[in-house]
Amino acid sequence: MSNVLRPYLAAVRSTLTAALTLENFASQVVERHNKPEVESASSKEVLLNPLTISRNENERVLIEPSGNSIRLSIRIKQADEIERILCNKFTRFMMQRADSFIVLRRKPVPGYDISFLITNTHTETMLKHKIVDFIIQFMEEVDKEISEMKLSLNARARIVAESYLTAFNA
Amino acid sequence: MDQAFRKIDIDIYDEDVLQESELYEADPRDPVEVLEDAKQRQAAVRSFLAKNDIPGALTIILDNAPYGPNVDDAKIITLQTLLTILNTTKSTEITGVIKGLSLDTQDTLMKYLYKGMAMPGWGDISGSVRLGWHEKLTEVAGVGCIVRTMTDRRTV
Amino acid sequence: MILLEPHNVIIQTTVLEKIQKPGSLDVVFVDYDNVRFHLSTPERKTVLLLSMNIRCWDELVQYGALDILRREYGSLLSSKVEPDYNVSLEIDLEQAPAEAEARDAFVLSLAMMKRNALAAPFERGFATQKELETTGGQGELMKVHYRDEEAMYIQAAPDRVTVIFSTVFREETDRIFGKVFLQEFVDARRQPSIQNAPQVLYSSRDPPLEIRHLPGLRNSEDIGYVTFVLFPRHFSHSSVASGTISHIQLFRDYLHYHIKCSKAYMHSRMRHRVTEFQKVLNRAKTEVATTERKTASGRTMLSR
Repeated sequence: MSNVLRPYLAAVRSTLTAALTLENFASQVVERHNKPEVESASSKEVLLNPLTISRNENERVLIEPSGNSIRLSIRIKQADEIERILCNKFTRFMMQRADSFIVLRRKPVPGYDISFLITNTHTETMLKHKIVDFIIQFMEEVDKEISEMKLSLNARARIVAESYLTAFNA
Repeated sequence: MDQAFRKIDIDIYDEDVLQESELYEADPRDPVEVLEDAKQRQAAVRSFLAKNDIPGALTIILDNAPYGPNVDDAKIITLQTLLTILNTTKSTEITGVIKGLSLDTQDTLMKYLYKGMAMPGWGDISGSVRLGWHEKLTEVAGVGCIVRTMTDRRTV
Repeated sequence: MILLEPHNVIIQTTVLEKIQKPGSLDVVFVDYDNVRFHLSTPERKTVLLLSMNIRCWDELVQYGALDILRREYGSLLSSKVEPDYNVSLEIDLEQAPAEAEARDAFVLSLAMMKRNALAAPFERGFATQKELETTGGQGELMKVHYRDEEAMYIQAAPDRVTVIFSTVFREETDRIFGKVFLQEFVDARRQPSIQNAPQVLYSSRDPPLEIRHLPGLRNSEDIGYVTFVLFPRHFSHSSVASGTISHIQLFRDYLHYHIKCSKAYMHSRMRHRVTEFQKVLNRAKTEVATTERKTASGRTMLSR
């Protein structure tokens, strides 16, 4: 892990660990319903203060805790048009597979690139620290993946251009 | 037929409905008074900083920090002052300084760190300074401090 | 495979096969830029009819495509053209050269039919440049609308021949990837080994000066214009010229081919990365003991 990124990820890790104290909580508004309070937002007493962790304007994480669920949204660094499109493609690709990524939300919260919704069911069936590990690893690797994809695109473009133009010499 | 009545939020007329004000005890002070207070503290912090007394400065600004609605100006001044303190502290001293603070003060400091991070690009402080403080504060005060920030309705 | 081949592989393999073993045949196939081919044996097994439909035929005829095809194929060029197609060749397999090398060359020339038809405006451009060397002035701006929304423009000047491609990027990803590729085309020439290559200019949105006066040019975000400046060294020698023509014709297809390849590569990378993430998340799941549950009557209960 790069040293620049470490404090940022450490802050996300500790905040997420703090927020993942969830318990079953049925809706107070609709009988026999049990839904993530952070999404339905129907009773304020179970919604806690949302926390933001940021490195700069373009890289931040929003954690919205509530009694039975938390929502974690990530804004991924996008330095230019290429990174923007690659990030967009990547997150879209993942969100289309939200079924198998049970903690993934199908749509990001406005202003962010990808969102996770973790409910008490998830913390009961999965190991909490491993969920945290997953999120941290995702954040770590998504940056790396995007910059690698960008490099490979540039490298390919260079080879393509060179071999096309070299052929004129023949 | 008029259907506007369907859009009325009837829940707010419920007797049992929970009001924002019931969630925490409001600050008894008047907003103007709070603002004055914040300004005075700002001046006090400057003199502490001149003496290089970081723990003193932090205690002054964080104890009895403004909270609740209607005191946004005072909050901003407090945040600004706090960021100055954070910026002037040497990174090697941070842990020592934090250890000298009381539990309540640590909690308030955590609240302000999150508030600062929620406004990236605001104020002349780099993200890594805030993250450095956050990391050291978590080391000293533990995850419980973050939980208290999340649950305390007296937002700064 | 980095570079695209100028000939059509289907024509090449099918004709070669039929020369060795004649048989009745009726195939319809396509090439780049929506060019359609029809290869059939309407009368006898030994006489192949190869017809081609190309979108910009009328323009090509205007620039002398028929002369070039006549030069390349001579008597093979059929006087009656198959309906729905623009040009037909009648190939008598019994007349095909016997020795292997000559036969391969003959078949390859058949497979280059599309390339030869499209070569017309280029050859005319190169010839015009020679004339202009003494007289000065500008050659005619030749327009070839070889795809629905995309075209090439060729113009000769006293010291060079300019070839402009307009190309449309259907979606945003293509547009951005295309920009990266084209930027490399512009930059690559700085390298000493490619200094001799034609100069490449690229502009998105705004058409270059040479064609700005033409009506009907789109001025939107998704369109790009690429200009190649060919100097006499690229076409003064006839064999170099034919190589240049085969090569530059395919520029648009080459560019888009590689954009698609990059997209496919990104996709496979993402697929791989996402499976890795999936594994990490699965590690978080606690082991659930799955014992078979039975009802009182002995039937297995299944959880949905």
